Amino acid sequence: MKAPLERLGWSNNDAKVYYNPRHQVLRHLQSSRACAKSRTTPARFVDEEEKKRENSLVTHDLFEQVARESKTKATFNKVIEVFIKRDIRRRGHVEFIYAALKKMPEFGVERDLVVYNKLLDVFPKEVFVPRNFIQRMFNHYPRQQECGVQLLEQMENYGIMPNVETKVLLVQIFGEKGHPVRKYQRIMYWFPKFKHINPFPIPQQLPEDPVDLARFSLTRIANDLDAKVTVYQLPYTDMTESGEELTLPHIVGIQSPSQMELLAKHNLNRPVFVEGPFPLWLRKTCVHYYVLRADPKPPEEQVEEPYDPERCFDYPLQLELDFDRDLGDNEDFDVEDLDEGPVYAMCMTSQGDQATLNQWIAGLQQNNPVLGQVPALFRLEPGPRELQGAAESVSGHSSRPHPDSHVENAQSGEDAEVILEEEARRSHGMKQ
Amino acid sequence: MSLLKITHHPPLRLLGCIHQPLFPFITPFTVPSRTLIQSGYRRPGKPREDQFPWQKIKFDLSKGLQGIKNHFTLLKNEFLGRWVGPEGKPILEHMLEQNRVVWEFRGPESLQNWTVSSDEEIGGQSRVYLKLGKNDNTCFLYGTLGSSPPKDGLTRYSGYCTMRSKQLLASFDRKKHHDWSSFNTLHLRIRGDGRPWMVNITAETYFSHQKDDIYSYFLYTRGGPYWQDVKIPFSKFFLTHRGRIQDDQHPLWLDKINTIGFTLGDKADGPFQLEIDYIGVCKDYAHTEDFAYEVYKRNPEV
Repeated sequence: MKAPLERLGWSNNDAKVYYNPRHQVLRHLQSSRACAKSRTTPARFVDEEEKKRENSLVTHDLFEQVARESKTKATFNKVIEVFIKRDIRRRGHVEFIYAALKKMPEFGVERDLVVYNKLLDVFPKEVFVPRNFIQRMFNHYPRQQECGVQLLEQMENYGIMPNVETKVLLVQIFGEKGHPVRKYQRIMYWFPKFKHINPFPIPQQLPEDPVDLARFSLTRIANDLDAKVTVYQLPYTDMTESGEELTLPHIVGIQSPSQMELLAKHNLNRPVFVEGPFPLWLRKTCVHYYVLRADPKPPEEQVEEPYDPERCFDYPLQLELDFDRDLGDNEDFDVEDLDEGPVYAMCMTSQGDQATLNQWIAGLQQNNPVLGQVPALFRLEPGPRELQGAAESVSGHSSRPHPDSHVENAQSGEDAEVILEEEARRSHGMKQ
Repeated sequence: MSLLKITHHPPLRLLGCIHQPLFPFITPFTVPSRTLIQSGYRRPGKPREDQFPWQKIKFDLSKGLQGIKNHFTLLKNEFLGRWVGPEGKPILEHMLEQNRVVWEFRGPESLQNWTVSSDEEIGGQSRVYLKLGKNDNTCFLYGTLGSSPPKDGLTRYSGYCTMRSKQLLASFDRKKHHDWSSFNTLHLRIRGDGRPWMVNITAETYFSHQKDDIYSYFLYTRGGPYWQDVKIPFSKFFLTHRGRIQDDQHPLWLDKINTIGFTLGDKADGPFQLEIDYIGVCKDYAHTEDFAYEVYKRNPEV
């Protein structure tokens, strides 16, 4: 009896095998024939009612049908409810879950544990639990288990930790020792271990306001608690007399006392450089910053400064003890130091052209009078600026489009400093 | 009758026909097939290579002469180094060594010890390049990450870029290993752009099924213009196999280290950069942990 059934292909669509096949052999035979028939006709010729009844392609359409007008969590839940109510046997639920997993980012519910639990609830309960040791030994209902593992893996990839409800559901569906339950246990073991290991944590929701975002990222990269953030210019839109709309970019800078000290000691004959933009990634958003720096001092200018004994009263900063120190006490790495020149200040702005950065330098000059006497050269790389614009438009606030060639042309007629800048850029290019 | 029928089937088919479709070409095949013998990665759709291993060898006189020269130089160094002390260093230095710089980047020839790869090999969109930094003193790893998977129907995830050191080779292409057993901490001096990386260490293994075992840990970069000194104790490295954390964890044995690698795969599409000054190992007396994860029981328990 069994062999001809197989030849007819009843195990063809195994998602339909829910209950013990012993009792329902005949029914499956019938349904599978219908299924095989509908399979042969291409999907686009099948009319709507037939599609709704049988084909596994329905699941994709279900999302399009139910959630046609808006894609939110509510409509996603509605789709799941529609699916659950449609068929008491939950026919094609594996396909439905795969489709739902794929659609989750579209509906914006990929980080929602409740939705995952609800999706897991679609699985029929206690059907896939192995009942004897042979079933337990072999992979019992592998497709369903694979699907459950896939769901948990998507949770894992989005960093969602399952809860007790998930576990109860999984145990009900797949039994105590099924693969999905194992996967759950693995997640519960490893996730808490690595939850807080990032030494530079980033909040899940980055601040929306560009100034706040700039403040956050500047304090992150400055790595100095004494560093002070200064907002040189807030973004605002202004109307000029001729009716043009003028958008002023935000300029946020950071400078620490030690950087000010370094800048005060800067040799007046040597220029300082404004470099950038350099990328900084905060999870999935990329911001760019600019750096005010100088070239490293040539070896003849480097002076070893003696420690000021009054700098710290609690303990001496320098010890002149003549112990027998040998190789075993040497804790420094044997590498030559990299000298890249000091960094004097950093800033972030939405518009990285020379005029804006000049404004930043002018603002810095209030606290650092040296900058008035030192020539400042701009080494701005054009490359990532378009990227920055793209990243910003993604993150929500738009920046005024500014083609680089236009900016450079506008500046080329101004004064002799530009020539210097060009030279600087060329030498910079040669150095690379 | 039915019994007879069943006996005609090969046993594998018998098991498979319960769950797997009889017409695998018609129905979508969602369950990936697992092979018993692990071979290297072959892109879906690419034909199997039908060549004997000796057909891939290039015989060339000049290459042979160069090889002889290189190998005998290495052999000479090995002999003479043994005369000086273990690993070519005086015994006192070897015993009192507190830290060692294993890889530093000074000059273009230091980049020869590294290979870069990205998911371009599996049809992805990431690109990765390696060059020297501004002053020829650092290694600058840059490129773009693209995490959309290739459309071959099998690959589900994509988007990685990686840089890996080459296997140390002694003369006549014998394998040589790093012996870090007197150290307990990995020390890196890096400058990143805020992205999280992963440090992968492979050790020499005995059985062939362990050849893809990798010990990994996370490397978080701060970003910004300043260099960052990172110390990662070796006890924190956890065992992974082909990208999956293993249930049976085991501490990393430091006496035979083959390679170290850095992998980026944080699913944030866009350009990335990582600058490395040096990679060293050091002895941290304040760190006494042997292994950071439970080894006394499996997780999940069986």
